[in-house]
Amino acid sequence: MIGFTLRAQRPPEARRVNEDVVERFEHVFEVAPEKMTEHVQQQDIPAWDTHRIVGSRWDHLDWMHDHWADSVLSTGIEPEIAELGETMPSEERS
Amino acid sequence: MTATATALGDGALDELRGILGGDEYVLPDLPARVNRTRVPAPFPVHRWGEFLPDVAVLPRTTEHVSEVVKLANRHGIPIVPRAGGTGLADGAVPLRGGIVVDVKLMNRILDIDLVDRTVTVQTGINMLTLNRELKQHGVIYPDDPASYPCSIVGGRIGTSGWSLIGGRYGHTRDLVISMELVLPTGEVIEVGDGGGRKVRKSSTGFQLKHLFMGHQGTLGIATEATLELVPRPEVEFAAFFAFSDYGTAWEATGALAKSGLATLAGVVLFDEWKLAYLRRDDEAYIPQPPTVRAVIASAMYGARDEVEPASRRLMRIAKEAGGKYLGDEISQGDWASRHDRYATPLHGRLKDGQVVPMCWHCEDASIPYSQLPAVREKWHAIAERYIDRYGIFDDWGMFAYTNAAYKPWGDYLTEIDIGIWEQELDEENWRGWVECKREIAEVALEHGGSITACHGATRAGDVELVPQEMGGGFEVMKKIKAALDPNNVMNPGKYLLDQAYEGENGREAVR
Repeated sequence: MIGFTLRAQRPPEARRVNEDVVERFEHVFEVAPEKMTEHVQQQDIPAWDTHRIVGSRWDHLDWMHDHWADSVLSTGIEPEIAELGETMPSEERS
Repeated sequence: MTATATALGDGALDELRGILGGDEYVLPDLPARVNRTRVPAPFPVHRWGEFLPDVAVLPRTTEHVSEVVKLANRHGIPIVPRAGGTGLADGAVPLRGGIVVDVKLMNRILDIDLVDRTVTVQTGINMLTLNRELKQHGVIYPDDPASYPCSIVGGRIGTSGWSLIGGRYGHTRDLVISMELVLPTGEVIEVGDGGGRKVRKSSTGFQLKHLFMGHQGTLGIATEATLELVPRPEVEFAAFFAFSDYGTAWEATGALAKSGLATLAGVVLFDEWKLAYLRRDDEAYIPQPPTVRAVIASAMYGARDEVEPASRRLMRIAKEAGGKYLGDEISQGDWASRHDRYATPLHGRLKDGQVVPMCWHCEDASIPYSQLPAVREKWHAIAERYIDRYGIFDDWGMFAYTNAAYKPWGDYLTEIDIGIWEQELDEENWRGWVECKREIAEVALEHGGSITACHGATRAGDVELVPQEMGGGFEVMKKIKAALDPNNVMNPGKYLLDQAYEGENGREAVR
């Protein structure tokens, strides 16, 4: 039986990704809290709700693929972003 | 204002109830009218009351629509057709009150013909709903707007809609074979390519089908449509590529678009402003390094035997043009997310970085490929000036999307997405937005483009430029409007067509 444990529903501390974004769960991003202080307040979301939203999102994407075609063709090629490097061309020049 | 306040008399309301067969199909209450006032485009919320209809009606048959239109003519009441209400050019927004004809209950599938490859529907049906039914037959109706989950066939006809996979399958005008139409006087006609509901090509008579595409509700109400059926694709292939500069990505876009690959459904070029916007909030782009300054998205559909080799060619073209593949997960996931804008709440940023709720507006145009770089520079410069001056706008970047049907090269649906903090709109800010919009449209015309590729040009900021873009064609538009709608009851005030009733015609617009 899976019980509800309040402590387990508290999301972990946020990790800073960049000046606009923080991350609490892997690949689940949030607006940096200091950007939401004046006009829109951030809400506390329990872990289960975040996982539910993420799961629903994947369900939706799977459904959309299936809606349009019998199958999705993959390349099997890994992302090649690293080939572009981490710095801007202007930074390289300087 | 009371809950049932309406400028229509009880007599007209009783007539409507008689035509439609019951109180539940005639909605004079305030919530029903408020909900049928605006569309997702920026809206002068401080003037909401000016756009309320007097009553909404829910017909179920062509005969209902015809009788309602005849009633409107008898009483001189404006009539505004409304389908999904997802359009971005205000075609479904009443400018002078009157009767909103909401076609959502006209949502039946009338005939699925797997021999002649057509499906005939009432125009209140949503494409997603239709395709769920068609799946069991191994066919689809491939009209795929960003509003796919919520827009409706009738609105697609009224706006001459644009499809995200139009490069492969065509756009709404190509996919609607024929339609049944209630004219502004209430007469019912069938229009297609010549006669015959299921004929795709004819040389008989005038080509009237296109006349009744994209009129934004000014020339009648489509009540039935016979639509194209195509084989359900065996495979979908999506590939996204990153570039370190816009110029290289622009060259690569052109190379992909003119590749001649028949299964290619679309190629999209995102610029660095769009990447900056996506890096704030989009999980696919947040982790990417700052060297990613432009992205190309592409997609293919068809039989596996066609798409597999074509996908290899596409990958080779993109890589030879300098693109770096973003990987299967991002490519497939982002492509499946292509309808998100109509499903997610939006927020933007003020200049100090603070988050505010914003509505989204994409200012669209058709721009020749050669002109994209110059238009991009000018549009962002315009947006920056208005952001600095008014403080309620946010530049969410631009994209350029292959625009032609069946052959994705030549001109591009080009959009600059601008967030607007609607809660702060007042008359000064609203006029600022309209001016911004007009400047953007003027640039499109300066560069040999069209004001709009898919939304329509009926809104303030666009519509003033329609005579300039259309030239002598605008005079023909006015003559057609006056001939078909002698009492100017059909969506009056749209497209400057009140001018059709001035001068020698000597007619006054209703209300």
